[in-house]
Amino acid sequence: MKSLKEEFLEILSNYQGILHKVSLIYFRNKSDREDNFQEIIYQLWKSFPKLKNKNSIGSWIYAVSINTSLYRLKKQSRIEYREKLPESIDKFDLIEEMTFSETSSKLLNAIYNLSEIDKSIMLLYLEEKSYDEIAEILGISKSNVGVRINRAKEALKQISSHGK
Amino acid sequence: MENNELQNAWKNIDGEINRKTTDELDQYLTSKCRKTIHKFIFLISLDVVVCIGLIVFLIITAFNRQGDLIYQTNNLILGAITLTALVVSFFSLKKLQGNRFNLPLKELLEQRIKLLSEWLLGRYSKLYIVLITILVAMIMLSIHVYYEYKPFLEVMSNTESIYGLAAGFTFGLFVSLFAVGKIRKYQLKNLEFLNDLHGQLCNIN
Repeated sequence: MKSLKEEFLEILSNYQGILHKVSLIYFRNKSDREDNFQEIIYQLWKSFPKLKNKNSIGSWIYAVSINTSLYRLKKQSRIEYREKLPESIDKFDLIEEMTFSETSSKLLNAIYNLSEIDKSIMLLYLEEKSYDEIAEILGISKSNVGVRINRAKEALKQISSHGK
Repeated sequence: MENNELQNAWKNIDGEINRKTTDELDQYLTSKCRKTIHKFIFLISLDVVVCIGLIVFLIITAFNRQGDLIYQTNNLILGAITLTALVVSFFSLKKLQGNRFNLPLKELLEQRIKLLSEWLLGRYSKLYIVLITILVAMIMLSIHVYYEYKPFLEVMSNTESIYGLAAGFTFGLFVSLFAVGKIRKYQLKNLEFLNDLHGQLCNIN
């Protein structure tokens, strides 16, 4: 029989992509991303024993990852940082630390310029989550989800067309 | 970018992420747990050393002034407050460690906003000024009277002593209020950030 930790690590190993992607959309700097990744693992571990519905592991991981990242942003006052950072540095960071294709880099740069909440909404949309799941993760109504997704998509298209 | 372009670009990102092995994940978890425990122990130790140090000082000085009832009462009240503060800070730290992030974002934000608003803007939010003033005055009295080597009432009737006490009290009060003010300012910024996130999440107009 597996121990609680082994069970947790197995789930984490299967779902770790979520943690990477959430960290990626909120933090440009590699060490910040690593710290956030580690913090999410710890927060997931803390709430793992209380996870009742094992069928909604994905939603649980998204919720904890998004909430933890937003709280880390709060700690580091990243909002001010984001507003002050020149665009050239954003791109430099991405190119220096990661090897994404041009289209992927363009998408990431556009996502960085969205508001903090729109980032998570866009992430969940791009991950092809249903409106029900997004509503459950963010705690808002389904109709609100629909409105927010359309707005975030519009904002993203505008930003990426500006960058062309 | 059109919708399908967005989805495809995102799928590429997904494919380009370097995944960690189970051993690496285990290391991440172990090291973070260790760091958190160390931080908790450090904060508790600091708290215990400061509070116990003050309590020991209060007990020793009170024993050395057995005939001075006012001085002993002052020390007794201060000791009780310090002990209460120690217990409260221990439970607060434990509660802080137990915070969970597995709630829907809106619920979590509302919970934190309520907590911070009550503390920073609630009915008793300015009470700290009165409490700090009283505490600083009592601590200053305890130290000053003890090192004057005279009974409490005699020290209080000496003009020179009163001037020294007033200077120490003013300095202590300034430092304490400045430190608490800094913490409150930081927490007010946090509250503003949380309110902003809540607004972003709920405002669809």
